[in-house]
Amino acid sequence: MAEITSQEEKQKLVKAYTAMVLSRTLDKKIVNAQRQGRVGFYTPTMGQEALQIGAAMALDEQDLIYGYYRDVPLMISRGVPMDLIINQIMGNSADIAKGRQMPSHYGSRKHNFMSVQSPVATNLPLAVGAAYSLKYRKKKGVVLTTFGEGSTSTPDFHAAMNLASVYELPVIFLCENNGWAISLPVEKQTRVDIWSKAAAYGMPGIRANGNDILETYEAVKAAVKRAREGKGPTLIDAISFRMGPHSTSDDPTKYRSESVPEGSEKDPLTIAEGTLKALKLMDDKMIENIKQKTIKIVDDKFDECEKIPPPDPITAFEQVYSEQTWMLKEEVGDIL
Amino acid sequence: MVQAINQALSQNMEKDDSVILLGEDVGVDGGVFRVTDGLLSKFGPERVLDTPLVELGIVGMGIGMAVNGLRPVVEIQFQDFIYTAMDQIINQAAKIRYRSGGEYIAPIIIRTPYGGGIRGGLYHSQSGESYFVHTAGLIVATPSGPYDAKGLLNSAFKASDPIIFLEPKRLYRSIKEEVPEDMYTVPLGKAKLANSGDDLSIITYGSMVSTVLDTVKKNKINADVLDLRTLLPLDVEAILATVEKTGRVIIVHEAPRTLGMGAEISALIAERRIDYLQAPILRVTGPDSPFPYKMEDYYIPNEKRIMKAVAKILEYR
Ligand SMILES: Cc1ncc(C[n+]2csc(CCOP(=O)(O)OP(=O)(O)O)c2C)c(N)n1
Ligand SMILES: [Mg+2]
Repeated sequence: MAEITSQEEKQKLVKAYTAMVLSRTLDKKIVNAQRQGRVGFYTPTMGQEALQIGAAMALDEQDLIYGYYRDVPLMISRGVPMDLIINQIMGNSADIAKGRQMPSHYGSRKHNFMSVQSPVATNLPLAVGAAYSLKYRKKKGVVLTTFGEGSTSTPDFHAAMNLASVYELPVIFLCENNGWAISLPVEKQTRVDIWSKAAAYGMPGIRANGNDILETYEAVKAAVKRAREGKGPTLIDAISFRMGPHSTSDDPTKYRSESVPEGSEKDPLTIAEGTLKALKLMDDKMIENIKQKTIKIVDDKFDECEKIPPPDPITAFEQVYSEQTWMLKEEVGDIL
Repeated sequence: MVQAINQALSQNMEKDDSVILLGEDVGVDGGVFRVTDGLLSKFGPERVLDTPLVELGIVGMGIGMAVNGLRPVVEIQFQDFIYTAMDQIINQAAKIRYRSGGEYIAPIIIRTPYGGGIRGGLYHSQSGESYFVHTAGLIVATPSGPYDAKGLLNSAFKASDPIIFLEPKRLYRSIKEEVPEDMYTVPLGKAKLANSGDDLSIITYGSMVSTVLDTVKKNKINADVLDLRTLLPLDVEAILATVEKTGRVIIVHEAPRTLGMGAEISALIAERRIDYLQAPILRVTGPDSPFPYKMEDYYIPNEKRIMKAVAKILEYR
């Protein structure tokens, strides 16, 4: 277990744990709502809370995030309000993108969290460009970009790793290594450890237990320090486990038998609770209390967001360009 | 349609050991739409490859197999994710025969689900057929139901050119048809007159065929409905024949209007049969915007929009 000693870091950890509980509770709520037909689709994040929230602990507000579709805990720990996430998942009129994107495709400029796309790893070269802009404008921030281990097979991963290294840019490549790319286990994805790929690009590669919040925090903290000092990018292999299905459309019993049940010793929440108790920051009663309170908060917020009406259909055809083209104007006139 | 495609793949694999399947999640999982279900256990991991996540790589690898005597069938999980492989498709697959003076050919089949209707939003709903149709050297086919899916695929296995096989995912489980056990073929490059009528012609393909047929039947419209089945090369004879017959043409597709199939078909008709036209050609298509999640029903052409065009074209004097 990594060590933390300062009072400030201890407070951070307590806050981080609260974010983990909120993420887990919200995750389960959305999955249940999907089963009841109240939500169209979702990519559960269960199991990846520690690595995302640990990473967020090492960042400042000004830092930029180029994430992917399994990053709800990362958003929550960035201070993104829960309703922003729920509204996106419901695609209602309060959603920033007005229900244009599938659930799990959030973003919020205010929180420096770039809007998420589906094609995997296409966010990585963008993160490199974002880092170049920061460096060029002599701004302080660094860029964190996230992706699954399956995404390391893409040309985008290769291109981004190489470019970030060549231009010595402040990018942290955080691989959320949950062991599976839908049905393909990591052993069939690649013959080497993910962290070891960094060597091919001339940057450090760090392996971290992604289920241990402090371990991921320490790893990302080191990478952020390096980036802020102008020394360039780092690859972090945060090894974790996808506790749920790939998505609500997926049936993992077709391809795997291993599981990490909730509350078992590998569950990142269990590990975080152990740490908190060892540091005497919390006891069982406090933990239970937080969990119970959070259920109510999530339920209430969910019900509240569910009452928000759907977007006006016309918004589906706006913001394609700065100004609507004559073609689209004509077509929308015909449709509505 | 899922079963029909599965059967075509299975039968061709049984018949010819040079047929190899490759793609993401096509093996153990049987594909995210279950199209390749059971094929791994039947044919083994040497012939059904659960590949790493790299469209560019698997298409390129497939082309290399094809050039060297195998019959690869590559599945791209969603057509929306094919774009990193476009370099391989456009600059390799489509040009190998030409650039090698015919010494090498690349008979690869690239299957991919396309189109909307499953609430997939921007990146699981695209109809990108025009990107492929703009590339000489490719064959582009799209079935409108299980029977044609199997028959067209069987023809694809006999062809010696690279084929983009676009499967309208909305129809995977929604259309039921009698599909014979035997390995019949439906010819590539030939359209099908799916309904016969005298007042107007509706030219369409893929997912829109059933929408058009339902509309025509329900509203008792006396229309020719032409299912193109192959988008490249087009069956120009069938297109011109129906124009000559009715003189009024509507083209329906889900893809955006600008430079969609409707543009090329209109141009062909205008060039060759303008004297037969009794009304301007109309297009009912997806709009020139990305494909929205929540409002997908507004994006996809429907009965109401088709009937609006029908009324307009029949009124025209
Ligand atoms: C370019 C591309 N190809 C295919 C897909 C379909 N797909 C969605 S998620 C996924 C697996 C991704 O695995 P990984 O990168 O490990 O991330 P995880 O989902 O495990 O978090 C695939 C193949 C996609 N989204 N993008
Ligand atoms: Mg993964």
